[in-house]
Amino acid sequence: MRYLFFIAVLIMPLLAQSKTLPKDLQWETNNSADTWADPNATKGGVFNDYIISFPPTLRTIGPDSNNSFRSFINANKMGLVSFHPTTWEIIPEIATHWAYGADKKTVYYKLDPAAKWSDGKSVTADDFLYTIKFMRSPHINAPWYNNHYTEQFEDVSKYDDHTISITGAVARSKEELHYYYGLGPTPEHFYGELDGDWVKKHNWKIVPNTGPYQISKIKKGKSVEFSLKENWWAKDYRYNKGRYNVNKVVIKVIRDDNIAFRHFEKGDIDSFDLVHPDYWHNKAKGKLFDNGYIHKVLFYNDMPRSASGFFLNMDKPILSDNDTRIGIAYALNFEKVIKTVLRDDYERLNAFHEGYGDYSNKNVKARPFDLEKANHYLTKAGWTEYNGSGIRIKNGKELSLEISYARKEHTDRWTIIKQDAKKAGINLELKLQDATAQYKTVMQKQHDIAAMGWSTGFKPAFWQHFHSDNAHKPQTNNVTNFDDKQIDDLIMEYRFETDTSKRIALSQKLEQMIHDSAAFIPSFKVSYTRGAHWRWLKFPKVPGTKTSATLYSPFGNGGVFWIDSKMKIDTMAARKSSTRYTPVNNVYEQFKVTQ
Amino acid sequence: MKSYFARRFLLIIPTFLGITVLVFGLTRLVPGGPVERMLAEAQLASESAAPSTDSFGSQSLDEDQIAQLKAYYGFDKPILQSYFEWLWKVLQLDLGESSRYGDPVWDTITDRLPVSIYYGVITMILTYLICIPLGILKALKHGAPFDHMSSAVVFIGYAIPGYVIGIACVAYFAARLEWFPLGGFVSDEFEYMSFTDKVVDLIKHSVLPLAAYMAGSFAVMTFMMKNALMENLAADYVRTATAKGLSFSQAIRKHALRNSLIPLATHFGQNISVILGGSFLIEKIFNIDGIGLLGYEALIERDYPIVMGILVISSMLYLIGNILSDFCVAWADPRIRFGEKR
Amino acid sequence: MSSFSPQALRRWQRFKSIKRGYYSAIAISILIVLSLLAELWINNRALMVKYEGAYYFPTYGDILPGETFDLDYKWETNYRALKRQFKSEPNSENWVLMPLIPFSPNENDFIEGEYPPYEPSLASGHYLGTDMSGRDIFARIIYGFRIAIVFSIFLLSVTYIIGIAVGAAMGYFGGAFDLFFQRIIEILSNVPILYIIMIVASIITPNFWTLALLLAGFSWMGMTWYMRTETYRENAREYVQAARALGAGHSRIMFLHILPNSISILVTFFPFSVVGGITALTSLDYLGFGLPPPTPSWGELLQQGTTNLEFQWIWASAVGALSVVLTLVTFVGEAIREAFDPKKYTFYE
Repeated sequence: MRYLFFIAVLIMPLLAQSKTLPKDLQWETNNSADTWADPNATKGGVFNDYIISFPPTLRTIGPDSNNSFRSFINANKMGLVSFHPTTWEIIPEIATHWAYGADKKTVYYKLDPAAKWSDGKSVTADDFLYTIKFMRSPHINAPWYNNHYTEQFEDVSKYDDHTISITGAVARSKEELHYYYGLGPTPEHFYGELDGDWVKKHNWKIVPNTGPYQISKIKKGKSVEFSLKENWWAKDYRYNKGRYNVNKVVIKVIRDDNIAFRHFEKGDIDSFDLVHPDYWHNKAKGKLFDNGYIHKVLFYNDMPRSASGFFLNMDKPILSDNDTRIGIAYALNFEKVIKTVLRDDYERLNAFHEGYGDYSNKNVKARPFDLEKANHYLTKAGWTEYNGSGIRIKNGKELSLEISYARKEHTDRWTIIKQDAKKAGINLELKLQDATAQYKTVMQKQHDIAAMGWSTGFKPAFWQHFHSDNAHKPQTNNVTNFDDKQIDDLIMEYRFETDTSKRIALSQKLEQMIHDSAAFIPSFKVSYTRGAHWRWLKFPKVPGTKTSATLYSPFGNGGVFWIDSKMKIDTMAARKSSTRYTPVNNVYEQFKVTQ
Repeated sequence: MKSYFARRFLLIIPTFLGITVLVFGLTRLVPGGPVERMLAEAQLASESAAPSTDSFGSQSLDEDQIAQLKAYYGFDKPILQSYFEWLWKVLQLDLGESSRYGDPVWDTITDRLPVSIYYGVITMILTYLICIPLGILKALKHGAPFDHMSSAVVFIGYAIPGYVIGIACVAYFAARLEWFPLGGFVSDEFEYMSFTDKVVDLIKHSVLPLAAYMAGSFAVMTFMMKNALMENLAADYVRTATAKGLSFSQAIRKHALRNSLIPLATHFGQNISVILGGSFLIEKIFNIDGIGLLGYEALIERDYPIVMGILVISSMLYLIGNILSDFCVAWADPRIRFGEKR
Repeated sequence: MSSFSPQALRRWQRFKSIKRGYYSAIAISILIVLSLLAELWINNRALMVKYEGAYYFPTYGDILPGETFDLDYKWETNYRALKRQFKSEPNSENWVLMPLIPFSPNENDFIEGEYPPYEPSLASGHYLGTDMSGRDIFARIIYGFRIAIVFSIFLLSVTYIIGIAVGAAMGYFGGAFDLFFQRIIEILSNVPILYIIMIVASIITPNFWTLALLLAGFSWMGMTWYMRTETYRENAREYVQAARALGAGHSRIMFLHILPNSISILVTFFPFSVVGGITALTSLDYLGFGLPPPTPSWGELLQQGTTNLEFQWIWASAVGALSVVLTLVTFVGEAIREAFDPKKYTFYE
């Protein structure tokens, strides 16, 4: 996985005149961090992958650009700097050196003069200034980007063609400055002046990029092909050695994971992610695996985990009561779901922010299934009577709630939860909607309980989910309608604190308070990635990094594997003749988190 | 007669307006339009996939910006106004642009059309090719074991939904026995193949979907043929013909058969709809990029211009098909007079 | 039987003589009756419990909390466990009588140390195995059948009532009325039903009745055409003219004279409508737009089966059940149609 760097540039009139650099800058670089690829990797070959649906556009910005395919394109855009995937050290990308301003919100970058766009033009300071102009333009039809680049960036300045500075809106720690205010270049020579037709004009344009691969062929509705650039400017750099080994990456559209898996078994696809227990245990077995043609890998990683679980809408009368919510939390048997349909492969998520290092509060533990406690709290909340079906009643009202969810395949999980919640006298109705409709229900805050997950960030983010500014109104991420003065104050304090240790303390305190409210009941997490690949796909000794979400990413921080073409031919022949190899089932625990 | 058909054609107009107004109105009511979809995509995590690291989650848009998004997808105007704007464009043969793919709706549909026509037409031809002889055979052997056996088979095919047959076929013949490919219209390497390989490849890919498509369509046609022929065989003129010295088979060929084809002809008009008729379930199972799947995905993904575009075409075909059917009937059987006072 | 007209009796005789249809009708009737009584033979509630001298019949009605049998919990008694417990107590007077298949369709039955789905097995009592979350497939198929058949009969009653009324009125009144409703029908036939369901689902969670009424609202049109044609034909007959001359009102003529004479065509459609109803519900469930989970459903089972083809008992059970039932109903339909068809064919050979 790879972090994108948000681009920025500043007030246009100022750009004309070059500014002078502050004298006392301490330029830093990093050419000594560990590498994570194998420098002896063989080059060449074609890597085949698949996606579920053809991307609606090749734009990475604007309407419908937020699709799963975008990550392939973005992974081939270089940032100014990057984070080392294991140590989180800052390592160079387009910028060779960087320095910090005294105001704690400015970073200075020296650009690599060798950096080139895929059309051969050099990457210069102007490309960064253009980014801000571009991202703020109404013509790209991307209000989030417009907002972000307007509010978060105070200034981007050019000193010469290869020196810039970026000033963010608020002071931050050094690494956060790079993360939040890092920008990527945007090719001005390609886009030129933007106009109202921009969105439509660029739906299928291949935009010059700076990364190792570029799209070389598109078959609409069927496949997209990326080719390795022949003389990529950064190919011999320290951190790129042994990476980006395959010549071509072909991404086919296969509408169904099941069918895709059959293609994998035929060898049409080289690798397959198998996080889901069904696939790992039930589908990924048989002759192909026993004869060693396909290798299985389980790789523990250590990274922020998605905040997924049950979100209780506290504006609903039943759920407005704290004891009732805690009672419900104790009555949800996530452990049984893990033990049965999830085959002990998933773990219970403990808190809203897990995997954020020190920011996560490791003392917060999810409430386990405990009928005694559930009964205690529910009785305390006044749910003392029972009706004929064994459901609790208070003032003539049943303790009956709807779980709103969007994924058919999760029905089995929630039926188990439903069955066991009944033992505490709670009736849970399952409401399955398609994803868009469910999202609307949740955004309108019409749900009782929403089963969903939020994407992860760089550091815990509380304001959007728990500040009363966002409560009781539609279209905000505060889906629990959290509204608590004390929490509000802490959130604002956390927001503007630059001292890391104080922020950590605040974050931990907030996490505990969220836990106490039981408005969010955490469900599951997966602390590894796993998959299978044909034996001709070769990896370094350690096939991934601390933050590898998958081992089979050809781009970004991945791209460490290579293809042994001769072995591919041998394997296919062996398969025909049923020749056996040793089956391989590797587990990598280098980055396993022990709690 | 002429005036009857002229009137039928004129009536297409109010019906067409009714259909489009209704569905257009519905698209405004469906929960979660493209705007919501966009909002959702910006913020939700997809479980087990790589967590996305967009940091925009922290922001919510203000009214203006949401209004701007609405305008982009054409949701900013009152419904009637935007309906008439849409209609005006349709009258100029412009179906607009897909809100998801940004491509012209017309191109998107015509891209998929060959596949749908291929399956539609072949299904139709094979159905006639199999049903007519089968119906004749069954009529001639009425009551014989062959009749019973074939009825049973045909009815089983009729009873089980096509997609269920499709699932069973994929599970058994493609996944287990590997006799056929798992899906798709042609192989990935299709363009590099020799002509004969191409044909073989196409056939291999077509067998299972065609089986799923056709299983259900046998029953109606076969029994229509059988019953019509039996009715005619029992008719007086066949009796007369045999009495005049024609052999039984000659009587069938010269008289009964021809008349028995009339009911099939009446059915023929509706075949015009097969072009768009592909079942999306079957297309989904076999990963065929046809109109059916396009329509279903457009529904699910709230791609309203596509939905409306397909609706325009399919409802026109449906309406014209109805008239065509009547016309076929009138042409095949001069005794029938439409539109006359009873 | 004496109250039936000779014609009806003749049809019945003819129907009985068509063996395939007749036996199918018997089989399907037995299936329906068995499914309506499913609680008595497929259930995790005991049929009868004798405890400390008292008898309990837990099958229907309110739950009996575990406390009833001096167990230490308040929720519904686990009768399978209770049975094991009584058996293990020596010389116990207490006993539990479980139904033939002691599982409820919504109950996850997990086997210690194994992960679902479980294969069909006599030992575990899951004769068709379990689905992906450990629910007994046989139980889900039977309960799913009950829901599907009741759904489809309710659906067709509503569609017939609307379809017949509208169709008869169209044929009877003709003219502008006919023309107007033709348009309405054409319009409704083109509406994507999935949209309607999505809209309704956004407001309420669709249940059995709302879903059936919703579908009925958009599928009554098929019946209308036949009824309209029939009415046209009957309308021209002498007896209708005569009735009208005698001063009979519109509705009287329609429902007392025309309808009974058109009944044959309606009856012949009946089984095919049942097939249509079952198929519609199954497809909707398959797509996730049907009845809310965890309602036992064939569509849902099919969906599980297709995403997990390697567990062949799942898809095979669903496909098998669908095929058997739909084929039986279709055979009945075929036989009814033949029985109602007055034509006897003559052959020359």
